[in-house]
Amino acid sequence: MPVSFDYVARETASNLWRNRLMTIAAVLTVGVSLSLVGASLLLRQGVAHATTQWAHGVDAIVWLNPNISTAQTAGVEHQVKQLPYVRSITYRSQAFDLNESKHLLTPPEYQVLTVETMPASLRIQLDNPSEALAIARQFDKFPGVKSVAVPTKTIHNIQTVSRILQLVFVVLAVILLLSASVLIINTIRLAIFARRREVSVMKLVGATNWFIRVPFMFEGVAQGLFGALFASLTVFSLHFLLDSFANIKTGNIWYQMRMPTGEVIITSLVVVLIGVVIGSFGSYLGIRRFLDA
Amino acid sequence: MITFENVSKTYKSGSTALRDVSIDIDKGEFVFLVGPSGSGKTTFIRLLLREEDPDDGRIWVAGRDICHLSQWRIPYLRRNIGCVFQDFRLLPNKSVFENVAFALEVIGRPKHVIALQVPQVLDLVGLSKKHESLPGELSGGEQQRVAVARAFVNRPLVVLADEPTGNLDPATSQGIMRLLDRINRTGTTVVVATHDAGIVDQMRRRVIELDHGTLVRDQARGVYGMAPAGMAPEDQLQKGAH
Repeated sequence: MPVSFDYVARETASNLWRNRLMTIAAVLTVGVSLSLVGASLLLRQGVAHATTQWAHGVDAIVWLNPNISTAQTAGVEHQVKQLPYVRSITYRSQAFDLNESKHLLTPPEYQVLTVETMPASLRIQLDNPSEALAIARQFDKFPGVKSVAVPTKTIHNIQTVSRILQLVFVVLAVILLLSASVLIINTIRLAIFARRREVSVMKLVGATNWFIRVPFMFEGVAQGLFGALFASLTVFSLHFLLDSFANIKTGNIWYQMRMPTGEVIITSLVVVLIGVVIGSFGSYLGIRRFLDA
Repeated sequence: MITFENVSKTYKSGSTALRDVSIDIDKGEFVFLVGPSGSGKTTFIRLLLREEDPDDGRIWVAGRDICHLSQWRIPYLRRNIGCVFQDFRLLPNKSVFENVAFALEVIGRPKHVIALQVPQVLDLVGLSKKHESLPGELSGGEQQRVAVARAFVNRPLVVLADEPTGNLDPATSQGIMRLLDRINRTGTTVVVATHDAGIVDQMRRRVIELDHGTLVRDQARGVYGMAPAGMAPEDQLQKGAH
């Protein structure tokens, strides 16, 4: 049976208004918890940008001379593979490295680079990251090798701090999302209680269960959605705030962490999606416990 | 229209509400369901609405076995049964018109149908002039008329009334019963559960009496109390006669 949009909109709005204090509490809790989720996602992306060379557990990079021959490259690769503690090795072309440098360097730096002058590289994953120095020592002076880079202490620190922060954010966010769900369940319960006369008349005259449920469901979804929009706003503000710290001349850490707005939009969409899911989940439980009983 | 076949119902608390009750009510009949409090009248009505399931036996409404109706079809069963209660059950913050319209609105009837049918039924119950009043501004009798209008607006096959005159004085009660009688004359089956002897004795319709969940009397043109002596034999106990 069709449930008219007009009816649902009217009922949902009046439910939200009657319960406005509980609604505000639920929206704010969803908002704060999803802001943490969003911040955690932003941090994760920012760190991934700043440490892009060292992502996926790369422990050492062998930079090859730009004019190296194919045979020499194969030779270096073969030599590296011989080492027992090397887990995997990936060849990155000059074009790839040039593209990657745009993320890591400031414009005056990367603008002078060309594909021809850019070194190709071998990205090496090790069984034990402490072996990286051994690789550096062994291949630094190898024919065709420009230099060997191992991650600096700073990069390790960034990665560690980011991992800890993300863990803390996610734990806090999960706790807050749980309390947000409980708040939504409670507002739905209050809304059903406030309308118990209407609900009993509806059941009596043969309104379908869906017709009775839909306005209450939308109430929960609306709370999740409003909270999520609040969180999206926070994510965008955070993005623009961090961008304002980015210094293009020095290429500081904020500069390296900067990300395109498109990625931030995707993060916001994820946040909105979680908000809607939390809202639906809360109202589903609220309705099941207090309407169908 | 309504058939109970050996229906029994015992609540979880252990009290027996109905014991092996068999009743046949034809389309267009007007039936009083009488008996003291706790005799099973309300259980009878709750079973008809599928608010309860019987422990034993089968119930048919309009040729459909309602005990085996799937959950999602129950609302559609209830659309065929209009209900009136002692406490009116009107929505206090909606006007007379809105209260009646609500019954159509929540079963998804389009606006033009509501605009047509609600004034018709308010006219039938004699409340056309008060359609903007709130229930609190009406007398008990008028509120019950609104409830009857709400029960009848969707033209159900059956109208069930559970103690419809329980809160009303005798004169007002007669008005409500005349209204139910009018509805009955449109071909609608009417079942009135009551212990108001006055209206039963006056109307002389079929009387079904329950006592402690057992059917003890089923009498055409009956009165509230046991049949007085000297009554024609065909009007006497007809239990299990169908």
